[in-house]
Amino acid sequence: MNPGMKLLLVVLIALEISFTQSLIVNVILIAVSFAYVMVKRMNFKTLFLLVFWPLFPALGLFVSQWLYGSAGIHFAWVLFTRIYAYVFLGATFTLTSSITDLSLTLEQDFRLPSKFAYGVLAAFNLMPKIREEVQIIKTSALMRGEVFHVWSPRLYFKAILSSIQWSQNLAEAMTSHGFVEDEPRTHYKVIRITALDWTVFIVLLIAVQVMLFLIRY
Amino acid sequence: MTDVSITDFTYQYPKSETKVLNNLNLTFKHNHFSLLSGPSGSGKSTLLYFIAGLYPRFIGNDATGTIKFGQTNLKDIPLNQISRQVAMMFQNPNQQFAMDTVIHEMTFVLENIRTEPAKMDAIIDQALTFCGIQQLKSRIINTLSGGEKQRVALACIVAMDTPVIVLDEPFASIDPGSRIDLIHKLKELQEKHGKTIILADHDLGNYQGIIDEFYYLDPKSHRINLLNQQEAQHFFDNFESTQTINKQLNLPPKTDAQSILKLRDFKLSPHDSLLLKLDHFNFYKQKTTLITGANGIGKSTLFNALTKLLPYTGTILYTDKNIKKIKPLNYAKNVTLLFQDAENQFLNVTVKEELDLSFANRFNQDYTHEQVEQMLTKLDMQGRDDQVVYSLSEGQKKKLQIVEMLIMNPPVLLLDEPFKGLDYKSLRLITGFLETAKTKYGQTQIVISHQLSGLEDLIDYHAHFENQNLTYQGVI
Repeated sequence: MNPGMKLLLVVLIALEISFTQSLIVNVILIAVSFAYVMVKRMNFKTLFLLVFWPLFPALGLFVSQWLYGSAGIHFAWVLFTRIYAYVFLGATFTLTSSITDLSLTLEQDFRLPSKFAYGVLAAFNLMPKIREEVQIIKTSALMRGEVFHVWSPRLYFKAILSSIQWSQNLAEAMTSHGFVEDEPRTHYKVIRITALDWTVFIVLLIAVQVMLFLIRY
Repeated sequence: MTDVSITDFTYQYPKSETKVLNNLNLTFKHNHFSLLSGPSGSGKSTLLYFIAGLYPRFIGNDATGTIKFGQTNLKDIPLNQISRQVAMMFQNPNQQFAMDTVIHEMTFVLENIRTEPAKMDAIIDQALTFCGIQQLKSRIINTLSGGEKQRVALACIVAMDTPVIVLDEPFASIDPGSRIDLIHKLKELQEKHGKTIILADHDLGNYQGIIDEFYYLDPKSHRINLLNQQEAQHFFDNFESTQTINKQLNLPPKTDAQSILKLRDFKLSPHDSLLLKLDHFNFYKQKTTLITGANGIGKSTLFNALTKLLPYTGTILYTDKNIKKIKPLNYAKNVTLLFQDAENQFLNVTVKEELDLSFANRFNQDYTHEQVEQMLTKLDMQGRDDQVVYSLSEGQKKKLQIVEMLIMNPPVLLLDEPFKGLDYKSLRLITGFLETAKTKYGQTQIVISHQLSGLEDLIDYHAHFENQNLTYQGVI
């Protein structure tokens, strides 16, 4: 499916289940999403992390609603499954779509200005470098006898300084590679939204509406 | 014909009195390989950025004078046409790609210059083949070594097929093999494909017999001179002679007794390529060890391993304790790095705050405030308390950085190119301070430096980095 359409669909469904209280629909969404990512081959470590990390907020919500809430155990379960529904819906997008394809379709089909599409992509590709930079900043602080934690403002001050420098360098590099804002470009890989994409999008969206309408538990 | 002619060209940074480039009049000739040399920080990059059409767009103010490509004023070329005329390769291999993989970056480049999609595959394959990196086509750029990244950068330039190619210190952080190879590729582009090549480098190694013209940016007059054969030869010879200072040194003792850092079965291989393999190597207490070796060979990477910034295999022992078992803060207090980039060391905003931080957190009380004040005065750094550290010149940043790390006074100080961009007088003052730190306070110093002259008195041992090995030498 076209990554842009997929993202839109996931966001729409996630929004809807935020305002509805159907436990069964949540479970169905989790099951379907799970099946989808399994078909697309997910490794077990990722799967474990996907189940493990949301457990804390999900359990927290569950327990507080169950013990202290007024809406009862059913709503507690809704909240619990809702967290997992978000996670697995998100996973259907993040684990199976490439960020490159997403920016291509955003640029070509969704008419996003190319500087945003490629700017975001370039920033995304810088992530590993940013992680290294944070490590350097922390070590350098230790050498001056300071311990920087994730909440230290000075860590962010330094990180932001570096980011400004990098964004400047990156803009220069993109320019020297011929990139000019708002100028027409050719496209090696043309991504179109096909009739199939539309069909899948509409069918799935309607299916969720129908389920939400019919299944109230 | 695309001569790049520069007329009455003057530039000064905003809020600065000195003209970085002072009334330049010169022509980089069509289909020539021109080398532009001069000390680091003298303004070579600035000129190249103007030629590549990146300045004044990415800098606050414009220069006076003109740059012409053939008969066309650079300013009259529309933005979307500049990259048909000139392509640029940058110094930092890590910050010139927008996309994730090599093939994506190359298609991005071709899309920008509006190449027909049907022709792209052939152009990309040709460019990769020319640069000898077909096997890197689908690789993720972040996982490549510096040398590989610069080859990819060249492949992008080859694919763009611009008549003028500008390179800003492109080999500053890549291995010697890649350097030689890339210089020859550039020569081939000039001779067989009619390109005009303008390359800035302060390191003159491997250019003799390759370049057609040698330009020198004089740091005093801020002008560029075209050197004749004889003058060029003089510069090359001079460069050769600075590669050694012919000082006899003792070899370190064979025993482990005086050693402070010990490397055992040590292997360093980032990006899956082996940089260094040491079965048994010691750094010695209260000595200054100089490490030399070609650019990009792995010297700074070794420092990164010694400061636990990079993973390695084997063992590093600090005073007989495995450094992996020492707590990070505790280890950082004992083995401290003077970063090559001074800004990495700064945590605060003004000079005073920076110095106060060092005084507040120092590991011992060896230096008095008066001593530090004296050091600053000697280095001509006094009375700058309220200045923002990031607004200091590169040389001043370096001096401040060194003083604040002297105040910290750690038992082991690793110094990565501490003298880069410093004038000779400051260099001698600083070697004096380091000598005191060593003899009076017992500091162990390990120095990476390309600059050798002026260090004669400080250096006790010299280790040379070559062929994935580090060996002590009897001479510098």
